[in-house]
Amino acid sequence: MMDFKIDTNFYTVSQVRHLTEHAFVVQVPRRNFKFTAGQHLVLGMKDDYHTREYSIYSGENEEVLEVLVKEVEEGYLSPRLKQVKEGDSLEIHGPFGHFGIEEKKRDTHKHVFIASGSGIAPFRSMVKTYPELDYQLIHGVRTIDEGYERENYSTDRYVLCTSRDDNGDFKGRVTAYLHEQEFDKNTQFYLCGNSQMIFDVLELLKNKGFGRDSVSAEVYF
Amino acid sequence: MNISDSERVRSVLERIGYVWTDNEEEANLLGILACSVRQKPIDKVYNKISQWNRWKNKRNLVTFISGCILPTDKERFLKLFDLIFSMSELSQLPAMIRDYGVVTPGALDSSVTAMPANENIFQLWDVKPNYQSDFEAYVPIQNGCDKFCTYCAVPYTRGREVSRPSQEIIDEVAHLAARGYKSITLLGQNVNSYGLDKKGEEITFPELLRAIGEAGNKLQQKFWLYFTSPHPSDMTREVIEVISQYDCLAKQIHLPLQSGDDRMLIKMKRSHDLQKYREIVQDIRQLIPQATLFTDIIVGFTSETEEAFQNTVEAFQEFKFNMAYIAKYSPRPGAASYRWEDDVTNDEKKGRYQRLTLVLKRHAYRYNQSLVNKEMEILVTGKDRKGQYLQGLTEGKIITRIESLDESLIGKIVPAKIISAADFSLTAQLA
Ligand SMILES: Cc1cc2nc3c(=O)[nH]c(=O)nc-3n(C[C@H](O)[C@H](O)[C@H](O)COP(=O)(O)OP(=O)(O)OC[C@H]3O[C@@H](n4cnc5c(N)ncnc54)[C@H](O)[C@@H]3O)c2cc1C
Ligand code: SF4
Repeated sequence: MMDFKIDTNFYTVSQVRHLTEHAFVVQVPRRNFKFTAGQHLVLGMKDDYHTREYSIYSGENEEVLEVLVKEVEEGYLSPRLKQVKEGDSLEIHGPFGHFGIEEKKRDTHKHVFIASGSGIAPFRSMVKTYPELDYQLIHGVRTIDEGYERENYSTDRYVLCTSRDDNGDFKGRVTAYLHEQEFDKNTQFYLCGNSQMIFDVLELLKNKGFGRDSVSAEVYF
Repeated sequence: MNISDSERVRSVLERIGYVWTDNEEEANLLGILACSVRQKPIDKVYNKISQWNRWKNKRNLVTFISGCILPTDKERFLKLFDLIFSMSELSQLPAMIRDYGVVTPGALDSSVTAMPANENIFQLWDVKPNYQSDFEAYVPIQNGCDKFCTYCAVPYTRGREVSRPSQEIIDEVAHLAARGYKSITLLGQNVNSYGLDKKGEEITFPELLRAIGEAGNKLQQKFWLYFTSPHPSDMTREVIEVISQYDCLAKQIHLPLQSGDDRMLIKMKRSHDLQKYREIVQDIRQLIPQATLFTDIIVGFTSETEEAFQNTVEAFQEFKFNMAYIAKYSPRPGAASYRWEDDVTNDEKKGRYQRLTLVLKRHAYRYNQSLVNKEMEILVTGKDRKGQYLQGLTEGKIITRIESLDESLIGKIVPAKIISAADFSLTAQLA
């Protein structure tokens, strides 16, 4: 019999929430998995050797561990993950990375989270972990249904920017929204998602006088 | 088991300082040459590695696998073994051992750990290499990495940063220097984050350098202490101040930049930007103006545009490196960027490599030219390739050819007058 040391890294799926045709949340029991909000884990399926990185979607104090996955149709793992059902086994390693709330600025700054698509995942973890946090979440998607589980955020703190329909809070890309905004100098920005969005927002923030010390970024692809 | 392959692997490992043991339970490095033609031997591999990985909980052990491996197994093995390579990559094994954060002194060719075995030292730092040099030594101070650069698999494969106890490092350096070692290099993936894994319990990197500096002051022996590689985001002015205060801390800094473009740095998840790098270089130029500056660069990283590359060229013009290890980007299995489109063509990467090398040469030559007619100290390291001259290194690690064949000088630091300069080297006469 094969004797894998990695047994302890196997988790049984306790829930799958399909949010749209292509996005879903996979939940497993937390067990002893310790992390700080913003970190990612590495996920694979049983009997499959491929793994991918996913930001942790659940809060530090929850009893479950969740990831939000957006299916990349031509991709390898995400379409397979979409088929996962309660009771299936997943292999999880981590946590990894340093993306997270700037500790020193936690209570002195406003925290502006800027996400594209599934890049909202680490911010959900941060908001769940720090309910008192002074934050604003700006989420760029194509259509309103991609405003994943937006009931998690108070309406005065969440702005959904939809580029392909008029049903969000703002019609257009996050960059267009940000362009019109003024920010206090005590603001810390966090960017997460595709690199093009991150590059564009960085440029925009630079023009508004915010350098790299005021910006953290997590690139997905 | 493929006996002839295993002999070849053994000989490469022995050349870089490992000593064979028949006792699996005492080995620091364990490997398998696999055959995946049949499933049975592969099943045995899984059994073996799970046992070895259990041992890793108790001692620091490095594992590798090579041989014929199916792509599917390869993905799986990446997670289970520290190193995976094909037999055709065997010659690169020493570099891989070093790249993967396994800071064996032997992996750098000339090596020694001189301290007697200490029960408290992690097994990794207890490897017993062949003594190949009696004047150059490498001292591992840390293993693993916490940085997660997207082009690199080290943090996923080698695990978290672990700092070696400072007293052992200080003792080992002092012991080596007292024995006459002239060039001692502290090794680690991120040397300047030394101690941060044991905050409050262990000293920091500048404090470690200071302690070595103090130990150096007490010794009668002259030596130069180097370190590689530091990470710009953990580099402080304090480190540079300490270097400026002690003679034995060599005035040479190797500071990987990787790209001169802030967007690329974000995509690489380097956690420093060009401005941060610039501030460090300004501190170096102000506090240790005589220091040479080396760097590492990746050209052609995924989505690197011509404009982004030009920013690296401009960074070279600004920082005037004395040496740069320029790598053409190639995706590494296990790294996040492995799955991102490798969209800069090979020809383009080659072109960028050549263009950057030209800029590097120009500045390196100008610096070398400025040394002509100066008297400098040279550590004589051997004879040049043709055996016609002695060869050595300045304190700033510029290769220097010395017009002499007096082999008794090998391993000594000697005064010499620089008489001519080339792009990356100098020629000197004994003073
Ligand atoms: C640190 C980190 C955290 C991440 N966190 C998340 C997360 O929380 N949720 C999530 O859904 N994904 C996340 N990703 C991306 C994830 O790791 C996978 O790349 C993604 O699920 C696609 O995997 P795949 O095997 O289906 O596609 P692959 O076969 O690997 O092919 C992926 C291709 O699609 C591109 N790609 C990757 N992600 C996307 C995307 N979202 N939309 C469009 N194209 C993409 C890649 O550049 C690549 O060219 C993260 C990536 C990193 C590096
Ligand atoms: S390249 Fe980055 S991730 Fe890899 S070892 Fe160096 S600092 Fe760590």
